[in-house]
Amino acid sequence: MAGGIRRAVIVHAGWFMLGIALLVPILDPLLPLEWKIAGHMNRIFIFAILGLGLNVVTGYTGLLNLGIAAFMAIGAYSYAILTCDIYPFRLGFWSAMPITICIGAIAGVVLGLPTIRLRGDYLAIVTLGFGEIVQDTLKNLDNITQGTQGINPLPAPTFWGHALNTQDKVAWYYLLLAFLALVVLVSRNLEHSRVGRSWIAIREDEIAATCMGVNPVKAKLVAFAMGAALASTSGGIYAALFSNSGEPGNYDFQISIIALCIVIIGGMGNISGVLLGAFVIGGFNSIVLDKLTTLLQQMGMVNTQNVLTVPGNWKYMIFGFALILAMRFKPEGLLPSRQLKAELHEAEEDERAENARGAA
Amino acid sequence: MPEPLLSIQNVVAGYGPIEALKGVSLNVRGGEIVTLIGANGAGKSSTLMCVSGLLRARKGTVHFDGADITGFKPHTIVEEGLAQVPEGRKIFPRLTVLENLELGAYLRRDKQAIKTDLEKMYHLFPILGERRKQLGGTLSGGEQQMLAIGRALMSRPKMLLMDEPSMGVAPILTAKIFATIRDLNREGMTILLVEQNAHLALKIAHRGYVIETGSIVLEDKAESLLNDPRVKEAYLGDDD
Repeated sequence: MAGGIRRAVIVHAGWFMLGIALLVPILDPLLPLEWKIAGHMNRIFIFAILGLGLNVVTGYTGLLNLGIAAFMAIGAYSYAILTCDIYPFRLGFWSAMPITICIGAIAGVVLGLPTIRLRGDYLAIVTLGFGEIVQDTLKNLDNITQGTQGINPLPAPTFWGHALNTQDKVAWYYLLLAFLALVVLVSRNLEHSRVGRSWIAIREDEIAATCMGVNPVKAKLVAFAMGAALASTSGGIYAALFSNSGEPGNYDFQISIIALCIVIIGGMGNISGVLLGAFVIGGFNSIVLDKLTTLLQQMGMVNTQNVLTVPGNWKYMIFGFALILAMRFKPEGLLPSRQLKAELHEAEEDERAENARGAA
Repeated sequence: MPEPLLSIQNVVAGYGPIEALKGVSLNVRGGEIVTLIGANGAGKSSTLMCVSGLLRARKGTVHFDGADITGFKPHTIVEEGLAQVPEGRKIFPRLTVLENLELGAYLRRDKQAIKTDLEKMYHLFPILGERRKQLGGTLSGGEQQMLAIGRALMSRPKMLLMDEPSMGVAPILTAKIFATIRDLNREGMTILLVEQNAHLALKIAHRGYVIETGSIVLEDKAESLLNDPRVKEAYLGDDD
């Protein structure tokens, strides 16, 4: 019973959040300057898409991936190379995006093929290494990638002949929200599909899963490809939004870790959890810290000469602390998947079962 | 004599330098319950694992339903129609009873027939129907064993491989499970049953093999084995 009520609350909260998300650009102009948030939401949407990509690999299939930022970089640079004037392709947003997504999926398979038989920590180390390799390659292949300058300018999406520019904030907002909604739908369908069930079976018990007829190599490869495709999507959109591929350092280990924090603090294997994680961590990163800086500046408490007075410099310490607190008090995340909750509260479950048996 | 459904010929297998099976041969004909009995570490489970693909045979062959399945991967073995009830049950403890059963039908695409089969499982083991929403891990040992059998049946196999279904199960449920195994067989299911509880296994089996340190040492009709003085002494004990 309690589970049903909890579910209903989450579903209602989800619709409520969607309603707020749809209203933000309309309400935002009415708000005083220090309360405006619409401009910060774009990054949060992009991080939510990245988090959902990681959720496929780490949340559903249980493979720890510490290099998801590499696929975001591959997406951003693929989009840049496909669209920028200095390259021969010169595609528009709508034709470049599907190719970007496919390149991401292929990159996922390329990383997956040689590493898929590795387990746990070993796989994590390889993915971490892959993240570094991609970054260094982008940096050093400067006759193709422009090295640390990034590739720009890039075309923005066009609607009926009108190309979005940086002034079309509301259109950008809804475009990114629409992309996120699409990725949520894809994730949901994947989770309940045949391949999604095989991922969860593998995460739960790989040997038992193979005894049911699941081909573990194939299932893991598909997970890698799907996760990479979604991460690549986030990268492509990110590049289009800023009209710049960004520099390789924008896709460093810290991005992978932020994505992992989003999935872990939010709730592994649960879409609502990942979305909540993206809003909590992304919101803290781009809204709270930003507002705090402005506030402190107004009070004259920020001294750019003294690094300790700039709130942004405390960011990773606060993230680390939040992660420690989360692992101590809510290890299953804010909105965990049912299975994770079951595992981390096994002792309580056992006790409850014991009591129930005693009562019967 | 009809061609056996499952035929294991001179299988040698092991773990690293240890040879667990030293040339095991056995046959199971369609419609039979055949049991493989023996002490701990004699090679019972290793024999099953060679059939189900979890352990690679170093020598020898495994044929099933006319096809050579030696060296097949576990997931292709299931496709061939051989379902396994593994040792220690290996149900998915964090998934519900229903989800466990559905995963048993992972390779099937006939949604409607899967639904009727689910109802059949709930009829076969009513406790699973009552607890369909409960997590597998919260079931008792015997109930988990029933779930593992139900899950294996959900693939509509031609034959069942069962590894120690009595292990860690309360005696009253063991009796129920063995009665179910016999009923399944009466409806036509072929079963290879590996069991430490030799008495129980020989009571429901048609034929039996006795394995000792990696080799088959006896093979006979189940009732003959039940009365064989060597089996009596080594495996049945005096309480019989």
